[in-house]
Amino acid sequence: MRVRPRLRPIYAVLERELLRMLRQRTRLVAAMVRPLIWLFVIGAGFGALLGETRGVDYKSFLVPGVLGMTMLFGAMLAALSTVYDKESGVMRMMVIAPMPHAWIVIAKVVSAAAAAMLQAILLLVLLVALGHAGRGTEWGLLALALLATSLACAGIGMVAASFSRTLDNFAGIMNFVIFPVFFLSGSLYPVRDLPPVLNWFATANPYTYGVDLLKHALLPHAQSADFALGLDLVVLAGATAAAVAVASWRFSQESAYEPMIRVLARRSE
Amino acid sequence: MNAPQAIGVDTRAAVRATGLGKRYGDLIAVDGLDLEIASGEFFGLLGPNGSGKTTTLHMLATLIRPSAGTAVVAGFDVTREPVSVRAAIGLVFQESALDRTLSVTENLRFAGLLYDLPLRVIGERQRELLELFDLADQRDRPVAALSGGMRRALDIVRGVLHEPRILFLDEPTIGLDLPNRRRIWRFIERLRARTGMTVLLTTHYLEEADGCDRVAFIRKGRLVESGAPRAWVERLGRHILEVEGPDLDGLAAALEARLGAGLRDGDVAYFRCPDEDVGAIARLQAEVGTRASAWRVRRPNLNDVFLWVADGKDLS
Repeated sequence: MRVRPRLRPIYAVLERELLRMLRQRTRLVAAMVRPLIWLFVIGAGFGALLGETRGVDYKSFLVPGVLGMTMLFGAMLAALSTVYDKESGVMRMMVIAPMPHAWIVIAKVVSAAAAAMLQAILLLVLLVALGHAGRGTEWGLLALALLATSLACAGIGMVAASFSRTLDNFAGIMNFVIFPVFFLSGSLYPVRDLPPVLNWFATANPYTYGVDLLKHALLPHAQSADFALGLDLVVLAGATAAAVAVASWRFSQESAYEPMIRVLARRSE
Repeated sequence: MNAPQAIGVDTRAAVRATGLGKRYGDLIAVDGLDLEIASGEFFGLLGPNGSGKTTTLHMLATLIRPSAGTAVVAGFDVTREPVSVRAAIGLVFQESALDRTLSVTENLRFAGLLYDLPLRVIGERQRELLELFDLADQRDRPVAALSGGMRRALDIVRGVLHEPRILFLDEPTIGLDLPNRRRIWRFIERLRARTGMTVLLTTHYLEEADGCDRVAFIRKGRLVESGAPRAWVERLGRHILEVEGPDLDGLAAALEARLGAGLRDGDVAYFRCPDEDVGAIARLQAEVGTRASAWRVRRPNLNDVFLWVADGKDLS
């Protein structure tokens, strides 16, 4: 029997994710404060040091980067809540539901991306209110950039989540996935000005293209973007598809709900 | 999703497993299991911890891929049509599947949507089921604030929200105190009376399996035998003799000569007394009972069956 994927399960996962995000006020506040600190502390500090580069002051250059940061952290943390779901047992509800297990991955990626986009929009409202965004913004392109970037970040987060068994890995993922992805992108500096090795890493990092797309949308006249708009979109779509494929494959393996199986194997010894 | 399941009254076996096996490396968790459960039956899978009960249940529920054999659940093959199997069954795991941060109704809403139920249906069924499980007053409380018994009851509500044909219960009363265990059993009884659903239960609380239509014992991944609980107990004999004594070895040897092989469990030895004749036991007590510090004769129960089967004894 061919099983048609249903939308209600996706909605269920999405609703739970947003509900949890709204209840975890500190997580939401942190998601707003973190980028603002970068913008107003790092941005102001280095801005004084650097002055104007390529027609924009450093703080304005940083705006796409901090908006991207909100999505990177928001999507990654939401995707990583899958590990919490595995540990707390809520994953049991999802694996026993009548849908292919790859559908869980898709639902989680969509939810994590939605949570990230919501945080980005919230930050954007703040930035516009503070006068740090809005002038000359290409809004349609910005919407597309938010969507594509948050999906790619959620995908990367989901791959990390599908490979980690316990929340103990969380700090490791923070240090070895989220931070490198952030620092080795064009968030803080133009990619083309980076020394060769760092340049290679940044070019290979799909998140770089998300930030680049945000630069296209937020600073259309400043030429701060490093890559062509089309390339950004293709890389982000490709990275998302690849990440979903890898995470789905991982989930179709029994080890995706390893905590349960491990308990069983231990009991049987 | 609807078409294949909706065909008339189902007379097919609810569960049919043939040579079902699972190994993890060198560890054989389940070894060539044959199992057939009729529609509407209340079936108990009994066995000590680590005997393969949960692995069996998870294979039938499509969560673990069998490494040998086949299983057909609700008419669908567990490896070829896992999604259809999952649509037809409810599974209550040994450990909670609930989100402790959400409220009772939020959990059920989440579970219902995962089963693709419309919100109206979820609302109706949760009202009805929370009533049935004495949880109506708790609907807005977070799950973390519920007692262990309430959480288990809610987990069962979650497992039957989509009105499955077959309900799998993995040790539904484990970790609960006696009053709560009784409550859970009352709920399961009510549920069966109302829906007539097939229930496959695993437990190692043997006295709880008394209400099953049929029980099967599983030991080291193999099904030992199955039958109605009463019939099993009767096969064990009319009475069980429990003795204790300073020279238990000698005492046991003397009794074994008369009653056949017994069981030793710490400081107690058990013997089966097949005769109805209590007089014979009294005479035996007069002969060798003087060497015993304790001498108890009682009716056998499912626990005895379990001990005998777990020890690898043949009950015939």
